[in-house]
Amino acid sequence: MGSSPLKRFTAAAVTLGAGLAIAACGGGEDSAEEDAAAGQEATTGASAGGKAMVNYTSFPDYLDPALSYTQEGWNTLSTVYTPLVTFRRAEGAEGAELVPALVQEMPEVSEDGKTYSMTLRERLEYSDGKPVKASDFERSLQRALILQSGGSSFYFDIEGAEEYFEGGKAKGDIRGITADDETGEITIKLKTPNGAFPYILSMPFASVVPGDTPFENQTKNPPPGVGPYRFQNVRQGRGYELVRNENFPEIEGLPEPKLDRIEVEIKKNQRRQVQDVIQNKVDWIVDPPPADQLREVKAEYSDRYEEYVTNSTYYYFMNHRVAPFDNPEVRKAVNYAIDKRALARLFGGLLEPGCNFLPPGMQGYEKIDPCPYGDPNEAPQVDKARQMIKDAGVAGDEVFVYGNGEDPSRPTTEYLADVLNQIGFEAKPRIIEASVYFQTVGNQKTNAQIGFANWFQDFPHPQNFMFLVDPASIQNTNNPNLGNVEDPEIRKALKEASQQPIEEAANRYAEVDRQLIAEAHVAPYGHRKLTNFVSERVDFENCTVTHPVYDLDLTQLCVTE
Amino acid sequence: MTTHQDPATALPAADPGEIEHAATGRTGAGPWHLAARRLRRNRVALPFGALFLLLVAIALLAPAFGESVAKTGPNTNHLSDTITVRGQERNVVELDGVPIGPQYLAAKGRYMLGADGNGRDVMVRLLYGARNSLFIGLTASLITTVLAVTVGLLAGYYRGPVDAVISRTLDSLWAFPPVLIGVALGVSLALGGLDLGLFQVRGNSLWIPTLIIGVVSVVYLARPIRGQVLSLREKEFVEAARAHGASDLQIMTRELLPNLVSTVLTFLPVLVANAILLEAALSFLGAGVQPPDPSWGTMLANGVNLLITSPHLTIAPGAMLVLTVLSLNVFGDGVRDALDPRSRVKIGT
Repeated sequence: MGSSPLKRFTAAAVTLGAGLAIAACGGGEDSAEEDAAAGQEATTGASAGGKAMVNYTSFPDYLDPALSYTQEGWNTLSTVYTPLVTFRRAEGAEGAELVPALVQEMPEVSEDGKTYSMTLRERLEYSDGKPVKASDFERSLQRALILQSGGSSFYFDIEGAEEYFEGGKAKGDIRGITADDETGEITIKLKTPNGAFPYILSMPFASVVPGDTPFENQTKNPPPGVGPYRFQNVRQGRGYELVRNENFPEIEGLPEPKLDRIEVEIKKNQRRQVQDVIQNKVDWIVDPPPADQLREVKAEYSDRYEEYVTNSTYYYFMNHRVAPFDNPEVRKAVNYAIDKRALARLFGGLLEPGCNFLPPGMQGYEKIDPCPYGDPNEAPQVDKARQMIKDAGVAGDEVFVYGNGEDPSRPTTEYLADVLNQIGFEAKPRIIEASVYFQTVGNQKTNAQIGFANWFQDFPHPQNFMFLVDPASIQNTNNPNLGNVEDPEIRKALKEASQQPIEEAANRYAEVDRQLIAEAHVAPYGHRKLTNFVSERVDFENCTVTHPVYDLDLTQLCVTE
Repeated sequence: MTTHQDPATALPAADPGEIEHAATGRTGAGPWHLAARRLRRNRVALPFGALFLLLVAIALLAPAFGESVAKTGPNTNHLSDTITVRGQERNVVELDGVPIGPQYLAAKGRYMLGADGNGRDVMVRLLYGARNSLFIGLTASLITTVLAVTVGLLAGYYRGPVDAVISRTLDSLWAFPPVLIGVALGVSLALGGLDLGLFQVRGNSLWIPTLIIGVVSVVYLARPIRGQVLSLREKEFVEAARAHGASDLQIMTRELLPNLVSTVLTFLPVLVANAILLEAALSFLGAGVQPPDPSWGTMLANGVNLLITSPHLTIAPGAMLVLTVLSLNVFGDGVRDALDPRSRVKIGT
């Protein structure tokens, strides 16, 4: 399975600012029980129903679950559409736990790991009242493939899916999927076992929509779904409303929404957004406050502001095929020289310095302690790095550091160039237009030596990070393995781990993580923090649930009237 | 044979300067001498000209200031460093990314104008930025002048198809906003550079924005040059040269070109000012001077995100930009007045 590199592009541009801030009311009679079931604390002091106003800086890429591949999109769509399995609506590790959503039980996996069997819940209805059929699942996946969704390649492990995608004919069939509308049984056959497949099933691309939904982008008129909310009054580019879906069934782990209505408004000016939250005109903003307002927000509104670490990693790739980074000692020297405290400052403090490639919230994460290159929160060993460069005989070599023109890529690229100069290289930044950056450095012809890279998770499974350093991922164009990491041991370990359930494979991923750092295949330096900043109306203690996949859970937002 | 028909020589009899000049009985004052005298007596233009020279001098002193006073280079990051200010240790960049503000003389010359987001000394970058901005402004203007005079001469002298081709090309260039062309060229050349066989420029070289600005500004000077050549080529002195058997090249270089000097001199300060502004705009948009090299445009761009907490990041380069452009424009007005026979600037005492 290969992840599309698109998430890197979109997430890099969009998720950086993703956070959630909503205001709403919540807490019906059953809400405490449901929250407890979902691992949430009961809501207190908040009234049921009500309305909240949310600001996004840009309109989601699509309001169509088959197509959307940005954090804003998923933040909204996760409230309107539900896949066969999904994540428990809770914070932290609990929120990364898969629960059966539209199916009665978690899929039954055959012994060879290739067949997934499940049965649809009974009497499921879309928000427009029409019944949900088992065959709708296949049609929904077909839509995603025919529309050439950015997530298409995730499903190529299903027998016949890739052929269906390449055939491009809507009337075809994905032979690996069988569905019985009478019994509600759905069977999925894979070409090869994939331990991450349940997570792939939980992605919004696999959300179930009515089988007669046109095979076209439906952003202007989003199809009905089986989610806590439904769309209303979509004004493309300007905003939309989320209205409570009365047909949403009781599902353990997915509590009923607390608000009756959520208004989403697109406001380009982030400073204005912050001012509106301060003045309680807006209840939550998705993007962190701009750097020059952050200090004021943290100082004066700390009772309604929080930061959290996302499942993301910021790192420098070092191309193993291009000198001087084909030399492991040179790569280690770079790791010794990087000051992670300094880099955290370039993120306005919104970076958790770290030594691992896997982020802290990811299964398989085991903190590498001590870090072989020194404590991430202490000064770097520049002198040692300089000596290593000298010993390697590459002092004075010319190095171009690649980055794009947006924050934080540009300043971190300039920083790295300065560090490389300090340890003996003749380094210059090479700044590329952000929209084509990853295509450019992911093209083997560019021969990019070293540069900025980041990744935000698609789903909380280590495979979704490790493919970035998997030798099997190396391609001539759109190469996700930017450093051309070609370690055969890593390849072998990742191949074996990918075929096991995460419970069994977690240790193996942790071992790969350690090996990546020990061999200095990459130079990770931290994990992005995002923020929740809400109005005074929001019950900050009880109603801001930061989900590890969808960020602020809009369904749990509530306001005190 | 060289016959100058410079506007400064065609002083009307009523010109007070000329009258006074005749009355004093002094002889031998040529048109350039007269123009220089007018300029010297312009009490507005001269101080601004001096200001521009001062800015150039300051820019030239950048390395000395960096090494001896600020003790840092323009691109050296000091993100985790601390400095001592009046006995107190302070972070150059706070943990939340806010850089230290202007220290003036409190930190022994370090961070006089504060630090930027990467912990770089703003004063040092400002001076190095001045070098880059002035280099690009002056060099681009020279390129513009050479190209514009060449195409203007050719179009105006030959007329016909040559003029049609050149003029339509200039019209096409005129149709696009210079910033738009500059951004398009700057972005596309920033990665791969420019390779014209013998002439190769790397993507991060200052010559990329210099050449771009030099070329896109040609139209502003080429048009008036062409117009003037169209007029001059009909004058008697050109007829005389032709009658003496002078070739086209000789007529253009020996007869017409000297008569264009005053026009070029009038335009030059404005061209330099516009080039500096265009460079700032392109750099602000990421298509001019490439990081980490400083220019006033890149410094402005870097400071925008911290406008509220660190206004010094935009005020300092903005002020330099204003001062430089203002000095050039006012001085340029003075030059124009000095070369203009109808100038109201009095030559006599």
